[in-house]
Amino acid sequence: MAELLEGIRVLELAQGVAGPHAGKLLAEYGADVLKVEPPGGDESRAAGPFKGDIPHPETSALFLNLNRNKRSITLSLETEEGRAIFLRLAAEADVVIENFRPGQLAACGIGYDVLSRERPDLVLASITPFGQTGPWRDYRGSEITLQAVGGPLHSNGTPTREPAKLGGSIAHYHCGVAVAFAIVLARLRVEQGGSGDWIDQAVYEAQAGFRDRRAIGLTAAGYAGMSSHRQRPASRAAVGVRPAIDGHVNILGGGSRHFGALLDLIGRPDLKEHPDFGKLVVGYSPAYAEQVEGSYIAWLFETPKKEAVAQAQARGILGGAILSVADLLSDEHYRGRGAFEAIDHPVAGEAEYAGRQLLLSETPRPPARRAPLLGEHNDEVYFDRLGYDGAALARLRGRGVI
Amino acid sequence: MSDATRPQRDASHRLPLEGVRVAEITVVWAGPHVTQLLAEWGADVIRVEPVNAIQPYSRYPERIMDEAASRALAATGYTLAAYPDFQAGADPWNRNPSFNSHARNKRSMACNVRTSAGREAFLRLIRHVDVLVENNVPLTIERSGITYDVLREVNPRLIMLRMPAYGLDGPYKNYRGFGTHVEGMIGHHLIRTYDDGTPDEMGDTYTADALAGVMGAFAVASALRSRERTGFGQQIEMPLAEAFLPALGEYILDYTMNGRDSVQEGNTHRSHAPHGIYPAAGEDQWVALDIATDDEFAAFCRATDAEALLGDVRFASADARWTYRKALDAAVSSVTQRFDKEALFHTLQAAGVCTAPVHDDLDCTRSPQLAARGFFEELTIEGVGTHRYPGIMTKWTNTPNWIRTPPPRVGEHSEAIYIDLLGYSRVEYEALIAQGEVGTTYPPDVLARGVG
Repeated sequence: MAELLEGIRVLELAQGVAGPHAGKLLAEYGADVLKVEPPGGDESRAAGPFKGDIPHPETSALFLNLNRNKRSITLSLETEEGRAIFLRLAAEADVVIENFRPGQLAACGIGYDVLSRERPDLVLASITPFGQTGPWRDYRGSEITLQAVGGPLHSNGTPTREPAKLGGSIAHYHCGVAVAFAIVLARLRVEQGGSGDWIDQAVYEAQAGFRDRRAIGLTAAGYAGMSSHRQRPASRAAVGVRPAIDGHVNILGGGSRHFGALLDLIGRPDLKEHPDFGKLVVGYSPAYAEQVEGSYIAWLFETPKKEAVAQAQARGILGGAILSVADLLSDEHYRGRGAFEAIDHPVAGEAEYAGRQLLLSETPRPPARRAPLLGEHNDEVYFDRLGYDGAALARLRGRGVI
Repeated sequence: MSDATRPQRDASHRLPLEGVRVAEITVVWAGPHVTQLLAEWGADVIRVEPVNAIQPYSRYPERIMDEAASRALAATGYTLAAYPDFQAGADPWNRNPSFNSHARNKRSMACNVRTSAGREAFLRLIRHVDVLVENNVPLTIERSGITYDVLREVNPRLIMLRMPAYGLDGPYKNYRGFGTHVEGMIGHHLIRTYDDGTPDEMGDTYTADALAGVMGAFAVASALRSRERTGFGQQIEMPLAEAFLPALGEYILDYTMNGRDSVQEGNTHRSHAPHGIYPAAGEDQWVALDIATDDEFAAFCRATDAEALLGDVRFASADARWTYRKALDAAVSSVTQRFDKEALFHTLQAAGVCTAPVHDDLDCTRSPQLAARGFFEELTIEGVGTHRYPGIMTKWTNTPNWIRTPPPRVGEHSEAIYIDLLGYSRVEYEALIAQGEVGTTYPPDVLARGVG
């Protein structure tokens, strides 16, 4: 059976994380994604971490992860000729993804008005830090700054220190999923006879609608006139992250409906008899909280992290271990489910990648294709599709167009 | 804005999921977020929820808090369970901010799939829907006898999205947890830990819910698009853990290519410095700075009257700044703490520096940028009052969109769904009410028993 998004043709001008992540999801589930890179390559080719820590445009882990299943050509949109070539490619595309500054595409003469004139069914997805409109539209943004102003960063970390960002490029990965969702919706409408659209995705608004506490916190701020903030670990008893013998665990004990089960597990059923037992943690007397916490910590000091979690789960208690990537790669659950995928690459070599998000009962998954080399598909696109000959291609290269 | 003054959508710019009907048996955050997004883009979402049992962590915290307890919890920093004006009211299940932040545009059908009458109604509903979304522990769905192999016999065009924490098989199949626990188990918690701190300082985050919510909506939309071409529905299995892993893909590769295990990164960057969260004037006020180049660093120093830093050899190149980043952080902090975070934001952006204020929830509700783009929407909920809510996170230039209906009160739409959609007779429907299968509140014995 055909892949979910088979037949959708995507031009990916976007660089970095958010746009390429949208393109990655579309490509992974069957769309034909052609990456149009500037002659110097997508900025994520320079981001690393690199194979052997030696910077090389073909071995950046960020690029390799984000660009599987795509093809790559080089094309400079800073040249008149380059823009003319782009318009020929766009005429045969269903979707264009870009992340230039607001107004830059239009200033180059290839904005939504131009692209949609002949093609009202085109879907243009534009990704910017703050959106195409509004007083901050021209402001710069990056992962940490957009988490800071848009997301729940203020409540991450400990109250005696500075707030902490979420890991990696999570705001931009998340934004990329929102864009991929919007693109598929727009294609659904087009394929049913409706119109295309210009999707204006601000990373900032993806963060403000983020369901990692932000959207709930904004609702609660309207209800209670208060903001959430960083919580002291000490305000808890047998809840949250605590050290085990070989690392850390995060088990939901004190104050929860499974608290009694946890007290049984750690050999302190007597603490169920205390008058504070049924209360919320904020209602525990300091003495009770100290007894609970002390007994719990003592038990954890004798228990390996995954074992502690397995014992808690066996009693219905919610929780997990704090694992590192090395832990994941040797974990029998993830290995057994095939969560990683070995992919070979002519420069980076063979390595295991994080695999699929979805297991589809009726749509078998083809093996993943590695990320393309910079301009790897120039020949097939410029010769076969656009009809250039070798001499014409050499002239384009000489003028810095490709 | 009233409906009469809304911008118009013409037929070719209709909401893309108009005509799609979705049922959900979802709990907590991730599953309800999928259906929130589907509803926002036009789907008729029916929330299937019991009134003769309380679904854990959905409309309800574990205990209903009085005002004092609710204020005490908020004072520790946790406001996410705060009722309007800290009043639980007579029907706290309709007043929960977590629920009310996702349930707009949805309908509520009282139905408990664990009872025989409820299961029968649910199977009838399945004939009339395109999509079912659930995010329970696999055991719950198996015990209820509503796995995909059963439901596809009822409706072969059904798309069923299953979102367990870890998968429908494997050793962790029936592990229970919130997003924050999943994040520990897939490596996120460790990566986000302060570079010079320990994992127990970091508190809980729910990024796994946020990512899985949007990923699930993408998956359903893609499967709907595929069904238009093939005619078949299917089951989509999307564990929270596996929906998150690819978003940490560069860390996985750093290990599999280089043998480097993940490290605590906190606010540090692989090559930029200064990069982090720095103090601003005032109590618990902060700015984020992300400076890569010499030009940006010079612009920062000039705009903040800190040219002296430009003469320090430790900060003379990007490489040197990264090497001496701890000393640099201290020097930059002593500069930024003299400025108001909002003023510094505009000054530095005008100088081309990538920066932003750290906005808490109240700051965010006052953002002039979000106001200019109409992000927040005012909504009146019966018995809750009029408040502003975060709106729709993606703008389509030619398809104006807004919140159409407020979150449903529990069981609010049962009558229309049982009688008009499922074809129950009035007598049958009233019998379900008499049996306690259908209603608009929970009976006293259920409330006394609490969650579970």
